[in-house]
Amino acid sequence: MSSSSSTPYSPSAYYLERGELIKQGAEAKVYSLPSLFPPPKIYYPSSPSSSSSTSTPNRDGVIIKHRFPKKYRHPTLDTSLTSSRLIFEARSLARAAKYGVVVPRVLWVDDRGGCIGLERVEGWSVREVLGGGAEGEMELQEEEEEEVELYMPSSQTGEGERDVQGEGEVEEGNEGWERLKGLGVGRDHLMRSIGSALAKLHLTTIIHGDLTTSNMMIRLTPDSKTQPYEIVLIDFGLSSTAQFPENYAVDLYVLERAFASTHPRSEKLYAGVLEAYARGLGEKKWKPIEIKLKEVRKRGRKRDMTG
Amino acid sequence: MTTAQASTSSTTKKKISPLTRPSRRLLCLGIEGSANKLGCGIISHSPAPSGSTTKVTVLSNVRHTYITPPGEGFLPSDTARHHRDWIVRVIEEAIRKAGVRWSDMDCIAFTKGPGMGTPLQVGALVARTLSLLHGIPLVGVNHCVGHIEMGRQITSSHNPIVLYVSGGNTQVIAYSQQRYRIFGETLDIAIGNCLDRFARVIGLRNDPSPGYNIEVEAKKGKKLVPLPYGTKGMDVSLAGILHSVESYTKDKKYISWNTINEGKGEDAITAYDLCYSLQETAFAMLVEITERAMAHVGARDVLIVGGVGCNLRLQEMMGIMASERNGRVFATDQSFCIDNGIMIAQAGLLAYRMGQITPLEKTGVTQRYRTDAVHVSWRA
Repeated sequence: MSSSSSTPYSPSAYYLERGELIKQGAEAKVYSLPSLFPPPKIYYPSSPSSSSSTSTPNRDGVIIKHRFPKKYRHPTLDTSLTSSRLIFEARSLARAAKYGVVVPRVLWVDDRGGCIGLERVEGWSVREVLGGGAEGEMELQEEEEEEVELYMPSSQTGEGERDVQGEGEVEEGNEGWERLKGLGVGRDHLMRSIGSALAKLHLTTIIHGDLTTSNMMIRLTPDSKTQPYEIVLIDFGLSSTAQFPENYAVDLYVLERAFASTHPRSEKLYAGVLEAYARGLGEKKWKPIEIKLKEVRKRGRKRDMTG
Repeated sequence: MTTAQASTSSTTKKKISPLTRPSRRLLCLGIEGSANKLGCGIISHSPAPSGSTTKVTVLSNVRHTYITPPGEGFLPSDTARHHRDWIVRVIEEAIRKAGVRWSDMDCIAFTKGPGMGTPLQVGALVARTLSLLHGIPLVGVNHCVGHIEMGRQITSSHNPIVLYVSGGNTQVIAYSQQRYRIFGETLDIAIGNCLDRFARVIGLRNDPSPGYNIEVEAKKGKKLVPLPYGTKGMDVSLAGILHSVESYTKDKKYISWNTINEGKGEDAITAYDLCYSLQETAFAMLVEITERAMAHVGARDVLIVGGVGCNLRLQEMMGIMASERNGRVFATDQSFCIDNGIMIAQAGLLAYRMGQITPLEKTGVTQRYRTDAVHVSWRA
């Protein structure tokens, strides 16, 4: 990595070199490591073939988020943004965990190196499970979508294709959804869980700042009776603490928009999120936020052109 | 079904466009007047001599801009007066340059919205008159969709993330299931509005455009003054940054144009520095939300459209970001970035080819017309 070599020595460099780059998010490169410990050397005298098997349980998995310098930004601006976001992320995660919100554990913070080490959450993002429309992250990277104008006797083919897209929204190859269905969890249940997870978070006065369905993970729990899975909120890079209903309302509105744009066909489900959120928060706290949310909606969607 | 279907299952996913190849040359005249630019353009879609593609040709693209004195913005009534004074000349010029006759025209496209009410009405009124005079069908076009379609046509980028930045709009858009969906946008004022208003505060000229003059002055700036950086998820807030940069002009350390060339102290803040800081901060926010949208939907290409899109610094920053993600940036020059008639013609003709015609009684204009309200029937 050219970007990591140009930064001064950071204690995280060792792990960055060994980690596997799994995703380049908007802000950071995300690396995955099976464990913080070097792979154990275990020798089994009886069966030498399986000597190097490192079938470490997933519990030790580590995620490293490296906020590499963004060259398009002015260096001064970039440095201050990077360090403040890193610190806010760590602070919010620690605070959320303290109050019992399900978030990944913070393992270490290396603010000079722009790195934060987190517990790896095993599961699927809500977006994957809901089937985020036509633009699957993996899909588009592999195959570039292309439209061709062709001689077509009628536009029938187009129609047919559209229908298939609509129906096949949450169907094959969606492991997470299959598992949830196996556990008897429906979409409504999922929405309620999201709503109460958000309520829990907001009760700690933390606002997430970038709520999307990509930033919520579904993790199966060992206890499959009462609560077969839990919602893990991730990516607190834009989080802050807030005191006004306005801030909470904007947070909810961001998610609402993400739902509308990413899952055009699941927009109605969002009502379920709000319902559970309101219940989790309690009448007294929900009322002012509800009023603000209505205001914020008007502001964003039907804005006057002249500003 | 046929060979076309079979080929879709190959390595690249090809969606079949619902557009059929035109059997002859189709002509469309587009009229745009949603803000202070009055534009008229004529586009043709004709079957390419070989292959199954459609050839798109810009026959003419004429524009006249209403320029106000420094320190003043354009008011709806005055802008409408300008449009009324010029529209006949602009349309005649477009027809003359294209070398076509009215009888050749297949449809007339006009801006239905969004924009300023009275200037929009001028364009719609003229479009209706011409339609009745010559018996040509009308197509009402969403201004933002016009920008996107023209940008896609010029740069031939297939399915990019679109950053639409102009005087009235700041949106990050991606196409999905026959709509241009808005992933992020400004929560208050538009970026162009922010730049224009700041240009007014520091007394920059409106000729050729306030945004261009800020770009020029920003090149002389060196110091980055701290300004609020307001990204909220994929949305941005720009009102705070405008207020904050304005308040620097009342600072004791501020040096205005009169004394800018005289000796200045270490901690002086010049108008150049403010232009520079405003651009650096606001554009960094725009690039960031674009990057967020790219990461969110997994797209690689970016298309920048709208008046602010011809700012080279914005294009440069976007280019650096895209290259870090192995993506590409598409941008157009001022003749297609800034509001123009040809983009209305392009979007209108696409709709016309799908059989979308606006009946006369529905040709009213609307100041508020969301990008995602349009059914994009011409894309798969």
